[in-house]
Amino acid sequence: MRLALAGSFVQQPHSVLNPASPQARLVDRLWDAMYVTSIVVFILVVAALLWAAFRHRDSLEQADDPAQRRPLRTVVILATGLTAIILFVFLIFDLSVGRAITTNPGNDALQIRVTGHQWWWEVQYRDSLPKDWVTTANEIHIPVGRPVVFELRSADVIHSFWPPSLSPKRDQIPGNPNSLWFRADSAGVYRGQCAEFCGYQHAKMAFLIVAEPPGEFATWLAGQRDTAATPTDASARRGKAVFLASSCVMCHAISGTPAGSRIGPDLTHLASRRTIAAGTLPNTRGNLAGWILDAQAIKPGVKMPPNRLSSADLHALLVYLETLK
Amino acid sequence: MRPMRVVADVSGLPRTVFGHRSLMWWGTLGFIVIEGSTLFICVASYFYLRRNFSTWPPEHVFRPALLIPTVQAVLMLASNIPMRWADRASSRMDIRGVRNGFLVCSVLAVIMTVLRWFEFKSLHVRWDSNAYGSVAWATLTAHGTLLVLEMAETIAFTVLLFKDTAEDRDLAGASDNALYWYFMTGVWIPLYVVVFLSPYFM
Amino acid sequence: MPIDVGRRPSVDHESVRLRLEETWHQPPGLWGWLTSVDHKSIGKRYIVTAMVFFLLGGLEAGVIRAQLARPENTLLGPDAYNQFFTMHGMTMMFLFAVPVVTALGLYLVPLMIGARNLAFPRLNAYGYWVYLAGGLFLYISFFLNTGPDTGWFSYVPLAGPEFSPGKRVDVYAQSITFTEIAALVAAVELIVTIFKNRAPGMTLNRMPLFVWAMLVQAFMVLFAMPWIATVTQLLAMDRLVATHFFNPAEGGDALLWQHLFWFFGHPEVYIILTPALGFVSMIVTTFTRRPVYGYPAMVLSLLSIGFLSFGLWVHHMFATGLPQLGQSFFTAASMMIAIPSGIQIFCWIATIWSGRPRFSVPFLFVLGFVVLFVIGGVTGVMVASVSFDQQVHDTYFVVAHFHYVLVGGAVFPLLGAFYYWFPKVTGRMLDERLGDWNFWLLFIGANLTFFPMHQLGLEGMPRRVYTYLQGTGWGDLNLLATIGAVLIVLGMVLFLVNVVMSLRRGALAGDDPWGADTLEWATTSPPPPYNFAYIPVVEGRAPLWEQSGELPAVAGLRTDVRDVLLTTMLDAEPDSVHRHPVPTIWPLLAAIATTILFVTLIFTPWGAVIGAPLLLLSLLGWGWPQGREHHEEVMVEQQG
Repeated sequence: MRLALAGSFVQQPHSVLNPASPQARLVDRLWDAMYVTSIVVFILVVAALLWAAFRHRDSLEQADDPAQRRPLRTVVILATGLTAIILFVFLIFDLSVGRAITTNPGNDALQIRVTGHQWWWEVQYRDSLPKDWVTTANEIHIPVGRPVVFELRSADVIHSFWPPSLSPKRDQIPGNPNSLWFRADSAGVYRGQCAEFCGYQHAKMAFLIVAEPPGEFATWLAGQRDTAATPTDASARRGKAVFLASSCVMCHAISGTPAGSRIGPDLTHLASRRTIAAGTLPNTRGNLAGWILDAQAIKPGVKMPPNRLSSADLHALLVYLETLK
Repeated sequence: MRPMRVVADVSGLPRTVFGHRSLMWWGTLGFIVIEGSTLFICVASYFYLRRNFSTWPPEHVFRPALLIPTVQAVLMLASNIPMRWADRASSRMDIRGVRNGFLVCSVLAVIMTVLRWFEFKSLHVRWDSNAYGSVAWATLTAHGTLLVLEMAETIAFTVLLFKDTAEDRDLAGASDNALYWYFMTGVWIPLYVVVFLSPYFM
Repeated sequence: MPIDVGRRPSVDHESVRLRLEETWHQPPGLWGWLTSVDHKSIGKRYIVTAMVFFLLGGLEAGVIRAQLARPENTLLGPDAYNQFFTMHGMTMMFLFAVPVVTALGLYLVPLMIGARNLAFPRLNAYGYWVYLAGGLFLYISFFLNTGPDTGWFSYVPLAGPEFSPGKRVDVYAQSITFTEIAALVAAVELIVTIFKNRAPGMTLNRMPLFVWAMLVQAFMVLFAMPWIATVTQLLAMDRLVATHFFNPAEGGDALLWQHLFWFFGHPEVYIILTPALGFVSMIVTTFTRRPVYGYPAMVLSLLSIGFLSFGLWVHHMFATGLPQLGQSFFTAASMMIAIPSGIQIFCWIATIWSGRPRFSVPFLFVLGFVVLFVIGGVTGVMVASVSFDQQVHDTYFVVAHFHYVLVGGAVFPLLGAFYYWFPKVTGRMLDERLGDWNFWLLFIGANLTFFPMHQLGLEGMPRRVYTYLQGTGWGDLNLLATIGAVLIVLGMVLFLVNVVMSLRRGALAGDDPWGADTLEWATTSPPPPYNFAYIPVVEGRAPLWEQSGELPAVAGLRTDVRDVLLTTMLDAEPDSVHRHPVPTIWPLLAAIATTILFVTLIFTPWGAVIGAPLLLLSLLGWGWPQGREHHEEVMVEQQG
């Protein structure tokens, strides 16, 4: 059941009506039921209203027949009773959906910590050994068919984690850790976006969830554990020097280099990510160059300052960043 | 205008009425509800914030001193005696009794306002130290505002009553002022328990 | 009370009217305007001010719609956009919706209950001036680029000192305090007026449904507004003197703000809606020529809406991760409120069914209201579900939902009320043909604007975004919504044209152009300063329909001073005579002192040291008795 206006194109699945997890599917079913019922209720009420209004339209005859009042009373009471029954059914349905969504995810769940920042997402896969921890940003890889628990935190203001096709949203509140879990049913790239107003760039604070078969996921995770590749060609080496000598290191980390600041997104595997600027732009060389030179033009208010680099330095830096696979 | 026929004469109705028959009594009650809500919100926040601390008061904060707050609480309660006395005198239209009661209460109100200042010091915490300090200060300040307002009103009434032009209506007004006094002093007792005593057992 | 039936019949007491006119008239000129304590004079300026803010808030919405008409538009940057949507929300909630329904109550209630004025006319004047000051303060700040930019809900920590430096959020907090004070004093006045100033014989169960609605609304204001007034002060303190109410690092709590805010914020919606339900009942009665079906059910459902509205606040916080069980309670309560709302609609339909409807413009607006309100109602039931709400919370689905409720549920009845009572207030009718156009443009425009937003929300479009990317697929529906907004603007322009033209050349209304049943139609249009020459006596729920000729009335109030009649609370029996205040400048001075206090407090805590004594002085000046006459000549209304 879809609203009549459906059918517009969405790049990545990013819709309540396009569920790809048991959680989102249950809510979609609840929506279907409420939607159909509401249409019926609406039609009945409006039909009754119009019939009542046009029955004696502008008639001046006086005919207040008290006998008419008795059926009227029955109808009003029936309508009220019906309303109560519908609401009660909705309530039960809602409770059962709520229960199903919040059941225990089980022991084999993957834990991922997602921390909201103004205006990007820090993603951490924690392991027993801190050296195996993986930190990335704005792109969350998950295995298909396995429950994933998201520990939701915020580094500054309130954000809200919401991939509509996979899960209802949950707020990330400073001082108040939250969590939710879901299981992706099919491989694909799903879009999500911050759903709590969080300042200037609330609009451009998106993320991608990449659901892939367990094998691919394991390969990806192993790759992310590696420290950054040491550049081999001259241009990339120069780019690394530019990176380490510029203000980049004030905020960004690249493992295996002295750059270790956690203020901005971790760039160790930047080139492996599909987008930059929190799901705002495709990760292409041109976009990266534009972002480095003047991020404010793309996301006004973002914490990344403009950078003045000679075109040779910029070129070298881009070459280096592209090696960070 | 629709023509009207007179069916009754109200010229004989009283012009000075007390309690729920008077407008001011209802108005005062309305403001009591508003200000009572404000104080209730302070207390609700107090208990809500309590959950964020493992100890209460928080670590490195001394418990509040009790001497001055307890004196204040007793004084607040006791002040209802002269106020009630004035209130009763007003319904008897006994202007002398009202004058005396208000004179005593004006003095008490000034003393209570001064004591409030020392109550802040008794908290042993600053408003900007932590959320505990913030909410304790806010509660005292919110009630302190009512105290100062009531002090001003009581003194104003006292002056008015001692003037020659005092009328019956002023006696009714004095009675409505008494209603507010009961509220202001009465509500302090639970607030005293929350702000000063609860750190000893929570 | 001595009922003297023998003294009749009536005469036209021209001399009584002249003396009443002399006693009650507002002094001429600017001074008279500044010192007026007449509920009609203040009510009118209240309504006009609120409508001006409505237009400003509408213009802001228009700019927002223009920005969102296509993806990655650059009409507004995020800084401006955030101010615009915050100003739109604050203006509509705090400066338009609550004030305008309150103002209509302040104007109409005394007339409907046969009173000469409100119970506390000076408080009424003070409330208006404080409201005006708050609105001006907010808009002056906006024009100085210091408009609030963290939303009408201003969640901490975003609105806290760390993430919102500068004065924008302080402007938010203080301008709300202004409007809440205005709303609170109006609530006290309305409650006391309704309890004590009703015409003899108007027992509680004979009160017009609009008066009931205003009574319920006033009680809701009384219990809800202190929360927002207090919580914004806590925020202001966090920002000004470094308290830690909302700072998690020092034991404060971000969710405390949300609880306190929504404990006000949810009743707020019903505070706006309840008077609208009252408008609808009055219009339905008049235009079907039938008393509303099921009066007791209507009153009880109004009361239960009032009660239930305080049990719903957590449904704004379903995404914050509160325990499941607690949330279910709020789901149940949120769904339950659909029952009394449903009863209202069913009873109106029953009334229309048994009546003979006249399709004048007010009635059209009522029909439009029912259609839109049902849509807003069913989506309201949907978002009461925790899991569904967690999907659509903070998306355009919710934007669609509450605009159906507020535009459909409140603005449509309000405009219906405008067409209905305009003749009473101005003495002239609004034009029906322009009114039809006005209605249809708004009805189509509102649906075109807000219906597509349901789909946008389901497709994942969050609220409060200044733009959206190409390729999200949200462009077409947004464009449609913007086209709808253009129709709404056209509709409102027609409304303005209608008002301006009708003020000059509208058909003269006479006392009772619609053949209505309530007391306000018994007096002239516009009513004289004293409202009624004699206080009418009420013998039923529809006094003007029950008494075809002369109305029974009481005499014996003095005409040379401002005497009003007080009656008992339940049975409205004559109880005492009260002396009403004369025009005075003190309420304005007190409002100015209040303004000085609040505005200086934004910059320094020492503002309290400057402002508080001024306010105290002005209150003393206000309360100090003036012009005591000991030997007055007593002139009493004659009896025939």
